Order: sequence, then structure tokens, then C-alpha cells
Amino acid sequence: MSELIQLVDAPVPEEETKRRGIVREVLLGQRVAMIGLGILIFFTFVAIFAPWLEPYSTTQQVGPVYAPPSAQHLLGLDDGGIDMLSEVIAGARVSMLVGFSAAAVAMVLGGSIGLLSGYFGNKTDIVLMRITDYFLVIPDVPLMIVAAAVFGRSLVNIILIIGLIYWTSTARLIRAQVKSVRERVYVKRARALGGGHSRLVWKHITPQVAPLLVANTVLTIAIAIFAETYISFLGLGDPSTISWGRLIQNSLTGGAVFHKAWWAIIPPGLCVTIVILAATMMGQAMEDALNPRLRVGHLSVRRFRLRPLRGRLDSE
Amino acid sequence: MRGMDYVVKRTVFALVTVFVAITLNFILFRALPGNAVTGLRCGHCTKQFRESIVKQYGLDKSKWQQYVIYIERLAHGDLGTSTSDNRPVWDDIKQPLVNTMPMVIAGTVFSIVVGIISGVVAAWRRGTAADSANLWTALAFYAMPTQWIGLLVIFYIAIPLGLPASGISSNTLGILSTPSEWSVLSDRFSHMFLPALTLGVGLYGEYSLVVRSSMLETLGEDYVLTARAKGLRNWVIVWRHALRNAMLPLVTLIALSLGSIVAGAIVVEDVFSYPGIGLATIQAIDQRDYPVLQGIFLILTLSVILANFIADLVYFKLDPRVTT
Amino acid sequence: MTAAPVLSVEGLNVWFDISGGELHAVQGVDFDLRPGERMGLVGESGCGKTTTILALMGLLPSSASVAGRVLLDGEDVLAKGEETVAPHRWRDVAMVFQGAMNAFNPVKTVGSQIVEPMELHGVASGRAARAQAAELLELVGISGSRGDRYPHEFSGGMRQRAAIAMALACSPRVLLADEPTTALDVMVQAQILDLLVRLTEDLGLAMILVTHDLPVVAQVCGRAAVMYAGKVAESGPMDTLFHDPRHPYTRMLFQATPDLYGDEQVTSIPGAPPRLDRQIVGCPFHPRCDSAFARCSDQEPVLRDVGDAHTAACHLNDVPAQVAQ
Repeated sequence: MSELIQLVDAPVPEEETKRRGIVREVLLGQRVAMIGLGILIFFTFVAIFAPWLEPYSTTQQVGPVYAPPSAQHLLGLDDGGIDMLSEVIAGARVSMLVGFSAAAVAMVLGGSIGLLSGYFGNKTDIVLMRITDYFLVIPDVPLMIVAAAVFGRSLVNIILIIGLIYWTSTARLIRAQVKSVRERVYVKRARALGGGHSRLVWKHITPQVAPLLVANTVLTIAIAIFAETYISFLGLGDPSTISWGRLIQNSLTGGAVFHKAWWAIIPPGLCVTIVILAATMMGQAMEDALNPRLRVGHLSVRRFRLRPLRGRLDSE
Repeated sequence: MRGMDYVVKRTVFALVTVFVAITLNFILFRALPGNAVTGLRCGHCTKQFRESIVKQYGLDKSKWQQYVIYIERLAHGDLGTSTSDNRPVWDDIKQPLVNTMPMVIAGTVFSIVVGIISGVVAAWRRGTAADSANLWTALAFYAMPTQWIGLLVIFYIAIPLGLPASGISSNTLGILSTPSEWSVLSDRFSHMFLPALTLGVGLYGEYSLVVRSSMLETLGEDYVLTARAKGLRNWVIVWRHALRNAMLPLVTLIALSLGSIVAGAIVVEDVFSYPGIGLATIQAIDQRDYPVLQGIFLILTLSVILANFIADLVYFKLDPRVTT
Repeated sequence: MTAAPVLSVEGLNVWFDISGGELHAVQGVDFDLRPGERMGLVGESGCGKTTTILALMGLLPSSASVAGRVLLDGEDVLAKGEETVAPHRWRDVAMVFQGAMNAFNPVKTVGSQIVEPMELHGVASGRAARAQAAELLELVGISGSRGDRYPHEFSGGMRQRAAIAMALACSPRVLLADEPTTALDVMVQAQILDLLVRLTEDLGLAMILVTHDLPVVAQVCGRAAVMYAGKVAESGPMDTLFHDPRHPYTRMLFQATPDLYGDEQVTSIPGAPPRLDRQIVGCPFHPRCDSAFARCSDQEPVLRDVGDAHTAACHLNDVPAQVAQ
């Protein structure tokens, strides 16, 4: 038995080659995750301190329509003569807020359902999963559009709508994780010792599930921001707020294309893209680290190499 | 027949989901405060008109009765009447539906094909520059909002190249003489090209990444080593053994991404002013034309449910392990 | 002992590239295999036994480099790497893999996968091939009509038998079996091993059986080579290895196996095998050896004859009996 345990630590040839690939990919993954985190922190900072960061007003016209970028207006002016840079900064606030809040809603809802489903199993599991299945088949976007059109356009509603639509993948993931954790020996032991449900869940299951939940939530943030951009673009967003999605819509309705006003088109979309990329990179790297599944490929364009036999070693 | 019960199960599931969708549709539109009449944009409506609308939609009856009427109407193919032009909803959305189909299909096929090719190549050349390039490109396009891609396409491709960027046909066609079928077709195609391209570019990223990781996993399986041991050449192994196994997760992903496809279509049509069902949705929203919106939602949902069902069957056909 | 060997391995070395250097996984392995012979290749996980047989068929990944000669009927199949070894795959040397669970492609029928190498190597095609595949299945104890089924419809034991049938598709002369019975339950294990014995005798096959499980080797093989840290520690007839081991590792391995031929005391070997990414000084086994003495830590022992077809690499065989304690 001691032999077994130690063998696991010793590098084994077949596994070593896998390890080489894994180490490289994990390190790369970590670096990527760090970059993603950095970007997210940057934008969160901008979002929080937006009112103090905006150089100009976001409601007052300060110059001619679609004025190109200049020293005073780094991103030029939009179709209402308003400073683009200020608008982009203000947009960060709404987009990030909606992204984080909606993801939080999805996390709470999806996490709870996944937890209940995975922990209690049997009837609860079947019923909850069946509901999830039906929910999944109904296309998210038309549902979102309809809900936004019907329920009116306030920020809170948008957050709720997005959160209530995108909880399903979280639920599935958490359910699988809870199921596998539940089967582990120490949990069974704790149950045998008479631990109550809530205690068991809190002390044993949650710590194992939490990291994956966080990783998944980060990914959900990306989806939520994407969804908000979408809703705003269709004109269903909160009309009293500026978000990046709304800015993209403005550029379409304001005819930015015909005015060759790239400064009205590119910045908001670029910000959305970067934030979504950052969240996706970070969330994916986290998920990969928690669920490593890297293998050696058996096929390759390159072949094994030959070395000349440098004379028999030591023998005879 | 293998897994007959599987097919039956999926059919039942699809039907139940249809029912759920119909009911959801009803609930969303009727059973909530701010019903179709108060939300009706009707500046000069007289009291009698309002009352006739109420009668027509049965809004004076109980919710349950309304529900029954709604179902009955549906069974007759009656989706209601548009409040903006007073025509039956179905007549209003028929043509847009026909316009959208080829564009969406072209865009989706494009994204699948490019996704598979780039994913397989990336997996094959894992760790090389080609792999990284594909990874970042796919991720970048995945992260970009589709409408933004559309605007960029118009700005940097359509205008410089002189490709049509709006509508479905040129106004100049048919002015001087009756256009031939071929010129009509090619004109339609040229208008469809950029919207479909935009849709496809926004979609392909996710597919590429999934194909890549699925292919990598497949290439590490024992049966691939066995195939190599048997003496099969690399490309034969990929084509005959690896590909089919690696494609299975893609089928699932496509089914799951149908919502994104619909979303993309709506947005793309808005940006390119393409008169399809997406543009009709937006117009309905703008005009508060709830019956039309309701009808579109129903049609879209039913299409997605149908597509999901087909995807289930395809997966079933491809993977002999599926029996439950 | 007079028949020429069908397979001869001379000075086989395998290195793997790893981050920060190289792993010397196989360090100079030699052995001969005669027609009809069943030889065991035994050792702990990571000793290089699987890498060795993979090298025989050229199935190493691109991170590997190989030196040495592998003679198949006198021809060195590793002479030009992939070019020279590929033609022999399945036709002369076939393999049954560890965990036959996944050796079959799940989306194709078992029969089609047996037919595949036949058609590839021109042994048979079409209906004739399918008929032959059915015969092979019968040979391993599976009803021929089951060839139309999919792998997931077979039990573990049946899948292993089918894998053996598939290996025989092109009538190879050498069969390499890598842990063929791991993960099968005991009753099924015995059946598979019986099958292997019967097949090699009936078909005149030579077989190398790779395993860490000594009772398996004892049941099937006439000879065995014990590998440790990429080298052969001892090699000889099974009986001799058990009754007169000339390497402490062999002796301790047999002792560590419960109920092999009687009720020996069960002891596990403490410690771990050495890392193969750095140069080893002295005997690779000496840190865990219960009979190590001064010379063991700085001089590497050489594999030499210690009896009839019996070789061992241990300093204990060099010194007169009195000094050894």
C-alpha cells in the first residue's frame, strides 16, 4: 500500500509525456486567467468611478454632430454632439452592473436548483431536470425579447429577465458536481454519523462545489453582458440609461456609417468584446483547472525519432 | 428497431414542449397586467372600436375562457390580427419567413463548415501557431456582438467593395426591362451574402472551439492507437474513426445554439434592413403590435423545437450507444 | 532452443522529451522471442514495459526518440523508423491493448473493425473477410453473428476476446498483450488467459505478455523478464525465477504477491522507483534493496548469465558467498 502511494508521486514515463503537455497548458491557462482578471478589474474600476472619470457631460451637446476625434475629445462626438469617451465610460457602468447582477441572479437560481437536484436525487432530480429541459428548448432570445417588450424597460427588469433565462447551464453543472461529491466516502461517512442535511451541505459539499460555481458565474457574466448589449440594441433597454449596447444602436440609427464616424462605432463594441473575452478566458481557465481533461494524442504529423546506437552500454 | 422507444420519447417531449410554449405565449401576452388593449397604440380609437377589440379578443371573458379560445384559434391557424395594418398576422409574417430562411440556412451552414474545418486543423496541429491563431480568432468573434460585426462589415467590406448592404433586392432591377430569373436570383443572393456572412462569422467561433476540444479528446482514445497499430494511415484514421466520434458534441452544441442563431438573425436583419422575420419582430416591437409579436414568438419557438427534435434524431442516428 | 528467434531486441533505448530535459524510459533492453514461446514482461507501473512493446511496433509519440535494433526474422524494422516498421504492423506483429474497453471505436460494429485490417493488408475483402471475421470470433469463443453488434453491447470479457480476435485478423507471428486481464474479474481473467495459451499453441504464435500481476505471468508464460527502471533486472524460466531468483527485486516481487504457490509472508516493497529523467548512479534498485552493500551505490551491475537461460543484473552474483552478507 505504501508502495502504491509513493508510485503515484514518482514520474512515470507514459504519464510524464502527458504531464509535459498539461504543465504547459495549465501555465498558459493561468497567465490567460490573470490577464482576464486584470481586464475585468480595470473595467469594474471604470464602472464604479464612472461619474468622476467622465471628462464631459453625457447629456449636453459640446460640439458639432459626429465631430472626429481631437485633442479635447479623444473619441470624437456622437450623433448628438455628445462626447463619445464620456458616453463609453458611462456605458461601462450600466453594462458591467447588468452583467454582474444578472449573473448573480443566474448563479443563485441555477446553483440552488443544481444543488437540490444533485443532493436529493430521485424524484426531486427528475422533476427539476425535466423542467430545465423544457426551459432549455424554448429559445432564449425570443423569450427575452418578448419579456422585455411586455414587462417594460427598467434596469431591474432587464437584470431579472437575463438572470431568469440563463440559469440552466449553471444548474446542470452544479448538479453534476454535487452528485459526484455526494458519492465521496467522507460524505457518506458523515451521513452515517448522522449529520443533518444542511450541515452536510454546508460543511462538505459547498466547499467542493464553490470553485466551480465561481468559474461558471464568471462565464455567465460574459453571457449576461452579451445579452444586455443585445436587448439595448433592439431598443428594449432602459431608455434613461446609457449602455454600450445602446451606444451601438445609436451608431446605427444615427447613421454613423454614412458619416464615416468610426469613432462612434468601434469603441463601444470593442469594449464589449474585450470584457466578454476577458470573462470568458478567465472563466474557462478556471473551469479547465478544476476539471482537467488533457490527454496525449496518438496521432501526429510528426513521428518518433531515431538515434544511432552509440555502442552497447557497459554490457559484455 | 433499435431505440424505437427513444424516438417515441423524444416525440412526446417535443409535443409537450410545443404545448408549454403555446401556453407560455398566452401567459406572457394575455394573462398579465397591461394587456393587448391598454398597450394598444391607438390614438384615435373610439370607445366602440375599443369595445369591438375587446370582444374580438375575448378580453371581457375569464382568463381560462380566453385560453380556450386562443387554443381553438390556433388550431385553425388563426394567429390573430395585426394591430398596425389590420391584416391577419399570418399574412404579415409569411413573406418575411420565406425571406429569412435561405439567409439563416446559408449563414449557419457557413459557420458549421468553417467551424469544423478550423477545429479539426487546430486539433491536428495542436500547440502550433496555427492552433493558437485559430483559438484567438474564434474567441474574438465569439465575444463580438453580432450587430457590431454587422456594422463593421458594412463599414469595411460593403462600402469599399460596393456590395449591397440593405434590403433584399435592388431598386434598379426591372426598371429598364423585365429582369431574367438569373439576374433576380443573383441579385437576391448578393443581398443575402453579407447578412449571412455576418451571422456565420458570429456563430462559428463556438463551433470551432468545441470541435477542436472534442477532436483532441478523440485523438487520445485507445481506438485511435489501435487503428494506428493496425497500420492505417493518419488521414484514414481521422476520416473514418475520429471524425464521427468528434462530431457528436457538435450536434449537441448546434441544438443548444439555436437560440443564438435566431438572435443573430434578428440583429443581422436589423443592421442590414433585410426584410425577414427578424426585421418584422423589431417593427412589431416598435409599433407595439402585440398580436404580430406573439405570432412571431410562436413561430420561432416552434421552429426551434422542431430543429431540436431533428438534432435529437440525427444524434441518435450517429451514435449507436443511444438507446434511452 | 534451436529454432531461430522470430523477434530479437538488441539494445533498445527510448527517450521522451519532457520540459527541462529527457526521460530515459527504456535503457538498453535485449531479449529474444522464439516461435510459439510465451514470454512475460513484468514490473511495476512505470518500469518501461509498455513503452518497450510500443516501441516494437513503432507506436511511440512524436516526443519519443528510439535507439537500438528490433529484428523481425533478421530484418531490423527500426532501421528507418516509421518507414520500415509500418509495413509490419498487424501483419507480423499485433497488439492487444490495455483496457480493451476502448480499443474499439464505439460507433462502428465489432465485425467491421476486425475486417478493417484484413482489407487494408489485402488478406481478404468483402464477404470473404466478413466470413473470416466471424470465424475468428468463434475461435475466441464468441458467436460469429455478434460481429454485427456494437462494442457497448459486449461485456468486458467479451470485448477483450474480440480484441484478441481482431489482433489475429492478419495471422501475425507475434502477439503483444499489454495487461490483457486488468480490470476483469477473476473468473473472466482465467478464461482469457486460457484462451491466450490455447491460441498460441494452436496457431504457433509467439507472445509477449506485459503485466504487473505475477500470478498472471505464472499461469501463462514459460519465461519472463523482470524490468526495473527501464532495464531488465532478471530474466529466465518462470520456475527458476520463483525458486532461485538472482535479483533481490525479483525475490521481493514474488514475496509481495499473496498466495502465489503457498502462503508466503506478504510484504510490500517500500520506497519508490527512481526518477528516469536524471542519470542514475550505481544500481537503480539499491535504495530499496534489502541486500545492498557498498558496491551497489556506485557501480551499475551488468546483466550476465547466472544459469541455464537465466540472466540477472546484480552484484550479488559476482561476489563469493562469504562477502555478500
